[in-house]
Amino acid sequence: MMDYQKPIPLKTQDNKPFWDAADQHEMALQKCNSCGHYAHPPGPSCAKCGSQDLTWEQLGSDVKASVYSYIISYRPFLPGFQDDLPLIIAQAELEKAPGVKMMCNILDCKTEDVYVGMPVKMIWQDIAKDRALPQWVPAM
Amino acid sequence: MMGTITDRCAIVGVGESERSRNSGTTPLHMALDAARAALTDAGLEAKDIDGFMSYNENDSCTSHELATYLGVRPKYVKDIHGGGASTEMLVADAVGLIEMGEMNTVMIFRSMNGSSGQQVGRGYDSDMLQTALSGGSYIIPYGSASPSQWFGMFATRHMYETGITKEHLGHVCLSFYEHAQKNPRAFLHGKPLTMEKYLETPDISYPFNIHDSCVELDEANAIIVTASDRAADCRQRPVYIMGLESRQCHPHAHYWEDTSQVAADYVADGLYQSAGVKPEDIDVAAIYDCFSWVVLRQLEAYGFAPRGEVGDFAAEGNLKIGGKLPTNTAGGMLSEGYTHGMNNALELVRQLRHDYKGTERQVKDCELGICTGWAGPDIAGALILRN
Ligand SMILES: [Zn+2]
Repeated sequence: MMDYQKPIPLKTQDNKPFWDAADQHEMALQKCNSCGHYAHPPGPSCAKCGSQDLTWEQLGSDVKASVYSYIISYRPFLPGFQDDLPLIIAQAELEKAPGVKMMCNILDCKTEDVYVGMPVKMIWQDIAKDRALPQWVPAM
Repeated sequence: MMGTITDRCAIVGVGESERSRNSGTTPLHMALDAARAALTDAGLEAKDIDGFMSYNENDSCTSHELATYLGVRPKYVKDIHGGGASTEMLVADAVGLIEMGEMNTVMIFRSMNGSSGQQVGRGYDSDMLQTALSGGSYIIPYGSASPSQWFGMFATRHMYETGITKEHLGHVCLSFYEHAQKNPRAFLHGKPLTMEKYLETPDISYPFNIHDSCVELDEANAIIVTASDRAADCRQRPVYIMGLESRQCHPHAHYWEDTSQVAADYVADGLYQSAGVKPEDIDVAAIYDCFSWVVLRQLEAYGFAPRGEVGDFAAEGNLKIGGKLPTNTAGGMLSEGYTHGMNNALELVRQLRHDYKGTERQVKDCELGICTGWAGPDIAGALILRN
Protein backbone atom coordinates (compact mmCIF):
# COMPACT_ATOMS: atom_id res chain seq x y z
CA MET A 1 0.00 0.00 0.00
CA MET A 2 2.89 2.34 0.80
CA ASP A 3 4.25 1.91 -2.71
CA TYR A 4 1.04 2.78 -4.53
CA GLN A 5 2.31 4.53 -7.65
CA LYS A 6 -0.97 5.32 -9.39
CA PRO A 7 -2.83 8.62 -9.20
CA ILE A 8 -4.94 9.02 -6.07
CA PRO A 9 -8.33 10.72 -6.57
CA LEU A 10 -8.10 14.39 -5.69
CA LYS A 11 -10.86 15.68 -3.45
CA THR A 12 -12.45 18.93 -4.54
CA GLN A 13 -15.20 21.20 -3.31
CA ASP A 14 -17.63 19.38 -5.60
CA ASN A 15 -16.65 15.74 -5.21
CA LYS A 16 -15.58 15.53 -1.54
CA PRO A 17 -18.70 13.73 -0.23
CA PHE A 18 -18.22 10.99 -2.85
CA TRP A 19 -14.60 10.34 -1.95
CA ASP A 20 -15.18 10.69 1.79
CA ALA A 21 -17.82 7.97 1.50
CA ALA A 22 -15.54 5.83 -0.67
CA ASP A 23 -12.82 6.06 1.99
CA GLN A 24 -15.41 4.51 4.36
CA HIS A 25 -16.16 1.79 1.76
CA GLU A 26 -19.56 3.24 0.98
CA MET A 27 -21.02 4.86 -2.07
CA ALA A 28 -22.69 8.26 -2.10
CA LEU A 29 -24.19 9.91 -5.17
CA GLN A 30 -25.21 13.48 -5.72
CA LYS A 31 -28.87 13.78 -6.70
CA CYS A 32 -30.86 16.65 -8.11
CA ASN A 33 -34.06 17.38 -6.19
CA SER A 34 -35.50 19.36 -9.08
CA CYS A 35 -35.31 16.86 -11.93
CA GLY A 36 -34.56 13.67 -10.01
CA HIS A 37 -31.42 12.78 -11.93
CA TYR A 38 -28.29 11.61 -10.22
CA ALA A 39 -25.52 14.08 -10.90
CA HIS A 40 -22.38 12.12 -11.56
CA PRO A 41 -19.70 13.28 -11.68
CA PRO A 42 -20.93 15.64 -8.98
CA GLY A 43 -20.83 19.35 -9.61
CA PRO A 44 -21.80 22.77 -8.34
CA SER A 45 -25.25 22.34 -9.91
CA CYS A 46 -27.17 19.77 -11.91
CA ALA A 47 -25.73 19.24 -15.39
CA LYS A 48 -29.16 18.08 -16.63
CA CYS A 49 -31.25 21.08 -15.55
CA GLY A 50 -28.98 23.64 -13.85
CA SER A 51 -30.72 23.37 -10.47
CA GLN A 52 -28.69 24.07 -7.34
CA ASP A 53 -31.06 22.00 -5.21
CA LEU A 54 -28.80 18.99 -4.71
CA THR A 55 -28.49 16.35 -2.03
CA TRP A 56 -26.26 13.36 -1.38
CA GLU A 57 -27.82 9.92 -1.33
CA GLN A 58 -26.10 7.06 0.45
CA LEU A 59 -26.22 3.84 -1.52
CA GLY A 60 -24.39 1.68 0.97
CA SER A 61 -21.64 -0.82 0.34
CA ASP A 62 -23.43 -3.45 -1.71
CA VAL A 63 -23.26 -1.91 -5.16
CA LYS A 64 -23.97 -3.86 -8.31
CA ALA A 65 -23.62 -2.85 -11.93
CA SER A 66 -23.18 -4.18 -15.43
CA VAL A 67 -20.49 -3.37 -17.93
CA TYR A 68 -21.86 -0.72 -20.31
CA SER A 69 -18.70 -0.43 -22.38
CA TYR A 70 -15.00 -1.11 -22.06
CA ILE A 71 -11.60 -0.83 -23.65
CA ILE A 72 -8.50 -2.92 -23.09
CA SER A 73 -5.39 -0.85 -22.60
CA TYR A 74 -2.11 -2.40 -23.67
CA ARG A 75 -0.01 0.67 -22.90
CA PRO A 76 0.42 2.60 -19.69
CA PHE A 77 -0.56 6.18 -20.36
CA LEU A 78 0.00 7.14 -16.74
CA PRO A 79 2.61 6.22 -14.14
CA GLY A 80 1.96 3.14 -12.02
CA PHE A 81 -0.01 1.10 -14.54
CA GLN A 82 2.86 -0.69 -16.30
CA ASP A 83 2.50 -3.88 -14.22
CA ASP A 84 -1.28 -4.07 -14.77
CA LEU A 85 -1.28 -4.46 -18.55
CA PRO A 86 -3.40 -5.42 -20.28
CA LEU A 87 -5.80 -3.35 -18.20
CA ILE A 88 -9.58 -3.39 -18.58
CA ILE A 89 -11.02 0.11 -18.32
CA ALA A 90 -14.80 0.03 -18.31
CA GLN A 91 -17.97 1.92 -17.65
CA ALA A 92 -20.10 0.30 -14.99
CA GLU A 93 -23.81 1.13 -15.25
CA LEU A 94 -25.25 1.09 -11.74
CA GLU A 95 -28.14 -1.21 -10.94
CA LYS A 96 -29.58 1.09 -8.26
CA ALA A 97 -29.07 4.27 -10.26
CA PRO A 98 -29.62 3.44 -13.91
CA GLY A 99 -28.13 6.09 -16.13
CA VAL A 100 -25.13 6.58 -13.87
CA LYS A 101 -22.04 5.14 -15.48
CA MET A 102 -18.77 5.06 -13.63
CA MET A 103 -15.38 4.75 -15.21
CA CYS A 104 -13.57 1.89 -13.52
CA ASN A 105 -11.27 -1.05 -13.90
CA ILE A 106 -12.59 -4.59 -13.95
CA LEU A 107 -10.22 -6.56 -11.73
CA ASP A 108 -9.83 -10.34 -11.46
CA CYS A 109 -11.08 -10.73 -15.01
CA LYS A 110 -9.24 -12.00 -18.06
CA THR A 111 -9.39 -9.61 -21.00
CA GLU A 112 -11.04 -12.24 -23.18
CA ASP A 113 -13.81 -12.71 -20.61
CA VAL A 114 -15.09 -9.12 -20.38
CA TYR A 115 -18.25 -8.30 -22.35
CA VAL A 116 -20.90 -5.61 -22.57
CA GLY A 117 -23.61 -6.51 -20.07
CA MET A 118 -21.31 -8.48 -17.77
CA PRO A 119 -22.54 -8.26 -14.15
CA VAL A 120 -19.98 -6.71 -11.79
CA LYS A 121 -19.91 -5.68 -8.15
CA MET A 122 -18.09 -2.89 -6.40
CA ILE A 123 -15.15 -3.51 -4.10
CA TRP A 124 -12.97 -0.96 -2.37
CA GLN A 125 -9.24 -1.00 -2.88
CA ASP A 126 -7.31 0.54 -0.01
CA ILE A 127 -4.70 2.65 -1.76
CA ALA A 128 -3.36 4.86 1.01
CA LYS A 129 -3.59 5.06 4.78
CA ASP A 130 -7.04 6.65 4.76
CA ARG A 131 -7.98 6.46 1.09
CA ALA A 132 -9.92 3.85 -0.86
CA LEU A 133 -10.73 3.52 -4.55
CA PRO A 134 -14.00 2.00 -5.78
CA GLN A 135 -13.24 -0.88 -8.13
CA TRP A 136 -15.22 -3.67 -9.71
CA VAL A 137 -14.94 -7.43 -10.03
CA PRO A 138 -17.10 -9.92 -11.93
CA ALA A 139 -20.22 -10.79 -9.92
CA MET A 140 -20.65 -14.54 -9.68
CA MET B 1 -31.98 30.62 -41.57
CA MET B 2 -31.81 28.83 -44.91
CA GLY B 3 -30.03 30.77 -47.58
CA THR B 4 -28.79 33.54 -45.34
CA ILE B 5 -25.14 32.63 -45.65
CA THR B 6 -25.17 30.41 -48.71
CA ASP B 7 -22.53 31.44 -51.23
CA ARG B 8 -21.86 34.78 -49.54
CA CYS B 9 -18.25 33.83 -48.77
CA ALA B 10 -15.64 31.57 -50.28
CA ILE B 11 -12.37 29.88 -49.44
CA VAL B 12 -9.84 31.33 -51.86
CA GLY B 13 -6.54 29.99 -50.63
CA VAL B 14 -5.07 27.07 -48.74
CA GLY B 15 -1.53 26.24 -47.74
CA GLU B 16 0.56 24.06 -45.49
CA SER B 17 4.04 23.76 -44.06
CA GLU B 18 6.27 20.71 -44.28
CA ARG B 19 5.01 17.81 -42.18
CA SER B 20 7.31 15.69 -40.08
CA ARG B 21 7.75 13.80 -36.84
CA ASN B 22 10.22 16.38 -35.62
CA SER B 23 10.08 19.78 -37.24
CA GLY B 24 13.07 21.13 -35.36
CA THR B 25 11.34 24.49 -35.48
CA THR B 26 8.61 26.44 -33.74
CA PRO B 27 4.89 26.58 -34.50
CA LEU B 28 5.43 30.22 -35.52
CA HIS B 29 7.90 29.25 -38.26
CA MET B 30 5.52 26.56 -39.55
CA ALA B 31 2.52 28.92 -39.37
CA LEU B 32 4.43 31.46 -41.46
CA ASP B 33 5.22 28.80 -44.06
CA ALA B 34 1.56 27.76 -44.24
CA ALA B 35 0.33 31.36 -44.32
CA ARG B 36 2.69 32.37 -47.13
CA ALA B 37 1.69 29.25 -49.10
CA ALA B 38 -2.00 30.13 -48.70
CA LEU B 39 -1.37 33.74 -49.77
CA THR B 40 0.50 32.56 -52.88
CA ASP B 41 -2.30 30.09 -53.60
CA ALA B 42 -4.89 32.87 -53.39
CA GLY B 43 -2.78 35.42 -55.22
CA LEU B 44 -3.06 37.77 -52.25
CA GLU B 45 -0.57 39.70 -50.14
CA ALA B 46 -0.42 39.70 -46.36
CA LYS B 47 -1.71 43.27 -46.25
CA ASP B 48 -4.94 42.03 -47.87
CA ILE B 49 -5.72 40.01 -44.72
CA ASP B 50 -7.49 42.08 -42.10
CA GLY B 51 -8.34 39.26 -39.69
CA PHE B 52 -6.23 36.38 -38.37
CA MET B 53 -7.70 33.53 -36.35
CA SER B 54 -6.29 30.40 -34.84
CA TYR B 55 -7.06 27.63 -32.40
CA ASN B 56 -4.69 25.85 -30.11
CA GLU B 57 -4.26 23.85 -26.93
CA ASN B 58 -1.53 26.09 -25.55
CA ASP B 59 0.76 24.48 -28.11
CA SER B 60 1.03 27.13 -30.80
CA CYS B 61 1.85 30.70 -31.73
CA THR B 62 -0.74 33.46 -31.65
CA SER B 63 -2.51 35.18 -34.52
CA HIS B 64 -0.83 38.37 -33.36
CA GLU B 65 2.61 36.83 -33.77
CA LEU B 66 1.78 35.46 -37.19
CA ALA B 67 0.54 38.83 -38.44
CA THR B 68 3.54 40.56 -36.89
CA TYR B 69 6.04 38.40 -38.78
CA LEU B 70 4.09 38.70 -41.99
CA GLY B 71 4.81 42.39 -41.50
CA VAL B 72 1.19 43.50 -41.25
CA ARG B 73 -1.07 45.11 -38.66
CA PRO B 74 -4.55 43.61 -39.10
CA LYS B 75 -7.75 45.00 -37.57
CA TYR B 76 -8.55 41.81 -35.73
CA VAL B 77 -6.85 38.81 -34.21
CA LYS B 78 -8.47 35.94 -32.36
CA ASP B 79 -7.08 32.81 -30.76
CA ILE B 80 -9.38 30.26 -29.23
CA HIS B 81 -8.67 27.26 -27.09
CA GLY B 82 -9.99 24.54 -29.30
CA GLY B 83 -9.63 21.23 -31.02
CA GLY B 84 -11.16 19.18 -33.76
CA ALA B 85 -14.23 21.27 -34.58
CA SER B 86 -12.52 24.64 -34.46
CA THR B 87 -11.66 24.93 -38.16
CA GLU B 88 -15.36 24.88 -38.97
CA MET B 89 -16.30 27.18 -36.07
CA LEU B 90 -13.68 29.76 -37.04
CA VAL B 91 -14.80 29.68 -40.67
CA ALA B 92 -18.29 30.44 -39.32
CA ASP B 93 -16.88 33.34 -37.28
CA ALA B 94 -15.04 34.66 -40.34
CA VAL B 95 -18.23 34.51 -42.41
CA GLY B 96 -20.08 36.42 -39.70
CA LEU B 97 -17.46 39.15 -39.46
CA ILE B 98 -17.24 39.47 -43.24
CA GLU B 99 -21.04 39.63 -43.51
CA MET B 100 -21.27 42.41 -40.91
CA GLY B 101 -18.70 44.39 -42.84
CA GLU B 102 -16.08 44.22 -40.12
CA MET B 103 -13.60 42.20 -42.19
CA ASN B 104 -12.81 41.72 -45.84
CA THR B 105 -10.52 38.75 -45.81
CA VAL B 106 -9.67 36.38 -42.95
CA MET B 107 -6.84 33.90 -42.55
CA ILE B 108 -7.45 30.91 -40.27
CA PHE B 109 -4.55 28.71 -39.28
CA ARG B 110 -3.53 25.82 -37.05
CA SER B 111 0.11 25.16 -36.27
CA MET B 112 1.39 22.55 -33.88
CA ASN B 113 4.35 20.36 -33.09
CA GLY B 114 1.86 17.55 -32.64
CA SER B 115 4.55 14.89 -32.65
CA SER B 116 7.62 16.49 -31.10
CA GLY B 117 5.75 18.74 -28.67
CA GLN B 118 3.99 17.86 -25.45
CA GLN B 119 0.55 16.30 -25.73
CA VAL B 120 -2.15 14.49 -23.83
CA GLY B 121 -1.04 11.03 -22.75
CA ARG B 122 2.64 11.90 -22.81
CA GLY B 123 4.51 13.65 -20.08
CA TYR B 124 1.62 15.28 -18.23
CA ASP B 125 1.51 15.23 -14.46
CA SER B 126 -1.40 13.02 -13.42
CA ASP B 127 -2.59 15.32 -10.62
CA MET B 128 -2.62 18.19 -13.09
CA LEU B 129 -4.68 16.05 -15.48
CA GLN B 130 -7.21 15.26 -12.76
CA THR B 131 -7.68 18.96 -12.21
CA ALA B 132 -7.69 19.92 -15.87
CA LEU B 133 -10.30 17.41 -17.00
CA SER B 134 -13.94 17.72 -16.04
CA GLY B 135 -14.60 14.87 -13.60
CA GLY B 136 -10.89 14.04 -13.76
CA SER B 137 -10.78 12.32 -10.37
CA TYR B 138 -13.18 9.71 -11.75
CA ILE B 139 -11.04 8.75 -14.74
CA ILE B 140 -7.35 9.39 -14.10
CA PRO B 141 -7.05 7.00 -11.09
CA TYR B 142 -8.26 4.24 -13.42
CA GLY B 143 -5.49 4.76 -15.95
CA SER B 144 -7.67 6.41 -18.55
CA ALA B 145 -5.71 9.34 -19.91
CA SER B 146 -5.42 8.85 -23.66
CA PRO B 147 -7.93 9.87 -26.34
CA SER B 148 -7.63 6.31 -27.68
CA GLN B 149 -9.03 5.09 -24.37
CA TRP B 150 -11.76 7.73 -24.19
CA PHE B 151 -12.98 7.33 -27.76
CA GLY B 152 -12.57 3.58 -27.53
CA MET B 153 -15.21 3.56 -24.78
CA PHE B 154 -17.68 5.12 -27.21
CA ALA B 155 -16.57 2.78 -29.99
CA THR B 156 -16.99 -0.49 -28.06
CA ARG B 157 -20.53 0.45 -27.03
CA HIS B 158 -21.49 1.62 -30.52
CA MET B 159 -20.01 -1.52 -32.07
CA TYR B 160 -22.00 -3.61 -29.59
CA GLU B 161 -25.23 -1.78 -30.46
CA THR B 162 -24.81 -1.67 -34.24
CA GLY B 163 -22.78 -4.77 -35.10
CA ILE B 164 -19.84 -2.77 -36.44
CA THR B 165 -16.78 -5.03 -36.37
CA LYS B 166 -13.05 -4.64 -36.20
CA GLU B 167 -12.95 -5.39 -39.95
CA HIS B 168 -15.27 -2.44 -40.55
CA LEU B 169 -12.83 -0.18 -38.72
CA GLY B 170 -10.11 -1.71 -40.89
CA HIS B 171 -11.97 -0.73 -44.07
CA VAL B 172 -11.88 2.92 -42.99
CA CYS B 173 -8.11 2.65 -42.49
CA LEU B 174 -7.57 0.77 -45.75
CA SER B 175 -9.55 3.36 -47.71
CA PHE B 176 -7.57 6.29 -46.36
CA TYR B 177 -4.20 4.50 -46.61
CA GLU B 178 -5.05 3.78 -50.24
CA HIS B 179 -5.53 7.52 -50.79
CA ALA B 180 -2.22 8.25 -49.08
CA GLN B 181 -0.47 6.02 -51.62
CA LYS B 182 -1.66 8.42 -54.36
CA ASN B 183 -0.45 11.45 -52.39
CA PRO B 184 3.34 11.88 -52.36
CA ARG B 185 3.04 14.40 -49.51
CA ALA B 186 1.15 11.99 -47.24
CA PHE B 187 3.24 10.94 -44.27
CA LEU B 188 2.36 7.27 -44.85
CA HIS B 189 2.91 7.43 -48.61
CA GLY B 190 4.75 4.25 -49.52
CA LYS B 191 3.24 2.39 -46.54
CA PRO B 192 0.19 0.60 -47.96
CA LEU B 193 -2.08 -1.37 -45.63
CA THR B 194 -3.84 -4.68 -46.21
CA MET B 195 -6.67 -6.15 -44.15
CA GLU B 196 -4.41 -9.03 -43.16
CA LYS B 197 -1.77 -6.63 -41.88
CA TYR B 198 -4.41 -4.48 -40.17
CA LEU B 199 -5.95 -7.42 -38.32
CA GLU B 200 -2.64 -8.84 -37.15
CA THR B 201 -1.46 -5.48 -35.76
CA PRO B 202 -1.72 -5.64 -31.96
CA ASP B 203 -4.15 -3.27 -30.25
CA ILE B 204 -2.98 -0.25 -28.27
CA SER B 205 -6.38 0.31 -26.70
CA TYR B 206 -8.88 -2.26 -27.89
CA PRO B 207 -10.77 -1.71 -30.18
CA PHE B 208 -7.99 0.44 -31.67
CA ASN B 209 -4.57 -0.46 -33.00
CA ILE B 210 -1.98 1.96 -34.37
CA HIS B 211 -3.68 2.11 -37.79
CA ASP B 212 -6.96 3.22 -36.20
CA SER B 213 -5.19 6.27 -34.76
CA CYS B 214 -4.16 9.46 -36.51
CA VAL B 215 -0.51 10.09 -37.35
CA GLU B 216 0.38 12.90 -34.96
CA LEU B 217 2.82 15.17 -36.74
CA ASP B 218 4.44 18.59 -36.69
CA GLU B 219 2.59 20.70 -39.23
CA ALA B 220 0.77 23.96 -39.94
CA ASN B 221 -2.18 24.66 -42.23
CA ALA B 222 -3.86 27.89 -43.33
CA ILE B 223 -7.13 28.80 -45.05
CA ILE B 224 -8.19 32.17 -46.46
CA VAL B 225 -11.87 33.18 -46.43
CA THR B 226 -13.25 36.23 -48.19
CA ALA B 227 -16.51 37.64 -49.53
CA SER B 228 -17.66 36.08 -52.78
CA ASP B 229 -17.44 39.36 -54.72
CA ARG B 230 -13.78 39.69 -53.75
CA ALA B 231 -13.14 36.02 -54.44
CA ALA B 232 -13.56 36.62 -58.14
CA ASP B 233 -10.33 38.65 -58.13
CA CYS B 234 -8.28 35.89 -56.53
CA ARG B 235 -5.99 33.57 -58.43
CA GLN B 236 -7.84 30.35 -57.67
CA ARG B 237 -11.30 29.15 -58.47
CA PRO B 238 -13.29 30.05 -55.32
CA VAL B 239 -14.83 27.32 -53.21
CA TYR B 240 -18.10 28.72 -51.90
CA ILE B 241 -19.40 28.16 -48.38
CA MET B 242 -22.94 26.86 -48.79
CA GLY B 243 -23.80 25.96 -45.25
CA LEU B 244 -22.39 25.69 -41.77
CA GLU B 245 -23.46 24.56 -38.33
CA SER B 246 -21.88 23.69 -35.02
CA ARG B 247 -22.99 22.51 -31.62
CA GLN B 248 -21.81 21.74 -28.16
CA CYS B 249 -23.96 19.06 -26.65
CA HIS B 250 -22.29 16.55 -24.52
CA PRO B 251 -22.25 16.61 -20.73
CA HIS B 252 -19.04 15.84 -18.86
CA ALA B 253 -17.00 15.13 -21.92
CA HIS B 254 -13.98 13.66 -20.26
CA TYR B 255 -15.99 11.52 -17.96
CA TRP B 256 -17.99 10.16 -20.90
CA GLU B 257 -21.15 10.02 -18.87
CA ASP B 258 -23.25 9.21 -21.89
CA THR B 259 -21.64 7.36 -24.75
CA SER B 260 -24.83 7.02 -26.80
CA GLN B 261 -24.92 10.52 -28.28
CA VAL B 262 -22.35 12.65 -30.06
CA ALA B 263 -22.58 16.31 -31.00
CA ALA B 264 -22.57 15.47 -34.70
CA ASP B 265 -26.04 13.98 -34.20
CA TYR B 266 -27.30 17.50 -33.50
CA VAL B 267 -25.35 19.31 -36.23
CA ALA B 268 -26.50 17.41 -39.30
CA ASP B 269 -30.06 18.76 -39.65
CA GLY B 270 -29.08 22.40 -39.31
CA LEU B 271 -26.15 21.91 -41.65
CA TYR B 272 -28.22 20.50 -44.50
CA GLN B 273 -30.93 23.11 -43.96
CA SER B 274 -28.34 25.86 -44.01
CA ALA B 275 -26.93 24.64 -47.32
CA GLY B 276 -30.26 23.56 -48.83
CA VAL B 277 -28.90 20.17 -49.85
CA LYS B 278 -29.21 16.53 -48.77
CA PRO B 279 -26.59 13.91 -47.88
CA GLU B 280 -27.10 12.19 -51.24
CA ASP B 281 -26.09 15.41 -53.05
CA ILE B 282 -22.58 15.34 -51.54
CA ASP B 283 -19.81 14.22 -53.92
CA VAL B 284 -16.73 14.26 -51.69
CA ALA B 285 -16.10 14.35 -47.96
CA ALA B 286 -13.58 15.41 -45.34
CA ILE B 287 -14.58 13.58 -42.17
CA TYR B 288 -12.68 14.19 -38.95
CA ASP B 289 -10.62 11.07 -38.35
CA CYS B 290 -8.63 11.15 -35.14
CA PHE B 291 -9.68 7.48 -34.95
CA SER B 292 -11.18 5.18 -37.57
CA TRP B 293 -14.37 4.64 -35.59
CA VAL B 294 -15.04 8.36 -35.39
CA VAL B 295 -15.51 8.34 -39.17
CA LEU B 296 -18.18 5.63 -39.02
CA ARG B 297 -20.04 7.35 -36.19
CA GLN B 298 -20.09 10.61 -38.15
CA LEU B 299 -21.21 8.93 -41.39
CA GLU B 300 -24.17 7.70 -39.35
CA ALA B 301 -24.79 11.12 -37.78
CA TYR B 302 -24.61 12.99 -41.10
CA GLY B 303 -26.93 10.54 -42.82
CA PHE B 304 -24.61 8.86 -45.31
CA ALA B 305 -25.71 5.39 -44.28
CA PRO B 306 -28.38 4.18 -41.86
CA ARG B 307 -27.35 3.27 -38.33
CA GLY B 308 -26.08 -0.29 -38.38
CA GLU B 309 -25.06 -0.10 -42.04
CA VAL B 310 -22.14 2.34 -41.91
CA GLY B 311 -19.65 -0.49 -41.48
CA ASP B 312 -20.87 -2.20 -44.65
CA PHE B 313 -20.92 1.19 -46.41
CA ALA B 314 -17.18 1.46 -45.74
CA ALA B 315 -16.53 -2.21 -46.54
CA GLU B 316 -18.18 -1.78 -49.95
CA GLY B 317 -15.45 0.70 -50.89
CA ASN B 318 -17.68 3.77 -50.75
CA LEU B 319 -15.05 5.87 -48.98
CA LYS B 320 -12.52 5.31 -51.75
CA ILE B 321 -12.06 7.46 -54.83
CA GLY B 322 -14.65 6.00 -57.22
CA GLY B 323 -17.01 5.06 -54.38
CA LYS B 324 -20.27 6.77 -53.39
CA LEU B 325 -18.58 9.15 -50.93
CA PRO B 326 -14.83 9.52 -51.51
CA THR B 327 -13.61 10.54 -48.08
CA ASN B 328 -10.31 12.00 -46.85
CA THR B 329 -8.87 11.66 -50.32
CA ALA B 330 -5.38 12.81 -49.34
CA GLY B 331 -5.17 10.07 -46.71
CA GLY B 332 -6.83 11.88 -43.83
CA MET B 333 -5.39 12.24 -40.39
CA LEU B 334 -4.98 8.46 -40.26
CA SER B 335 -2.33 8.54 -42.99
CA GLU B 336 -1.67 11.98 -44.50
CA GLY B 337 -1.04 14.23 -41.52
CA TYR B 338 -2.64 15.73 -38.45
CA THR B 339 -3.45 19.33 -37.75
CA HIS B 340 -6.50 18.85 -35.58
CA GLY B 341 -8.68 18.53 -38.66
CA MET B 342 -7.53 21.34 -40.87
CA ASN B 343 -5.54 19.26 -43.36
CA ASN B 344 -8.74 17.46 -44.36
CA ALA B 345 -10.35 20.83 -45.12
CA LEU B 346 -7.43 21.79 -47.37
CA GLU B 347 -7.83 18.62 -49.37
CA LEU B 348 -11.57 19.14 -49.76
CA VAL B 349 -10.95 22.62 -51.18
CA ARG B 350 -8.41 21.22 -53.65
CA GLN B 351 -10.80 18.47 -54.75
CA LEU B 352 -13.62 20.96 -55.32
CA ARG B 353 -11.27 23.21 -57.35
CA HIS B 354 -10.38 20.15 -59.43
CA ASP B 355 -6.70 20.77 -58.70
CA TYR B 356 -5.90 17.13 -59.50
CA LYS B 357 -7.73 17.06 -62.83
CA GLY B 358 -6.30 14.45 -65.16
CA THR B 359 -4.84 12.36 -62.32
CA GLU B 360 -6.12 9.35 -60.40
CA ARG B 361 -6.40 11.54 -57.29
CA GLN B 362 -9.23 13.68 -58.63
CA VAL B 363 -12.78 12.79 -57.58
CA LYS B 364 -14.47 13.05 -60.96
CA ASP B 365 -16.77 16.05 -61.51
CA CYS B 366 -17.16 16.73 -57.79
CA GLU B 367 -19.20 19.82 -57.02
CA LEU B 368 -20.38 19.51 -53.43
CA GLY B 369 -18.32 18.58 -50.41
CA ILE B 370 -18.80 18.19 -46.67
CA CYS B 371 -16.18 18.97 -44.05
CA THR B 372 -16.85 17.74 -40.53
CA GLY B 373 -15.01 18.51 -37.31
CA TRP B 374 -15.15 16.61 -34.06
CA ALA B 375 -13.65 18.05 -30.89
CA GLY B 376 -14.36 14.87 -29.00
CA PRO B 377 -17.92 13.57 -28.88
CA ASP B 378 -19.09 16.76 -27.20
CA ILE B 379 -18.42 19.44 -29.82
CA ALA B 380 -18.93 19.23 -33.56
CA GLY B 381 -18.86 21.66 -36.46
CA ALA B 382 -19.40 21.13 -40.16
CA LEU B 383 -19.31 22.96 -43.47
CA ILE B 384 -20.80 22.29 -46.87
CA LEU B 385 -18.69 23.68 -49.71
CA ARG B 386 -19.22 23.84 -53.46
CA ASN B 387 -17.08 24.68 -56.46
ZN1 LIG C 1 -31.56 18.49 -12.29
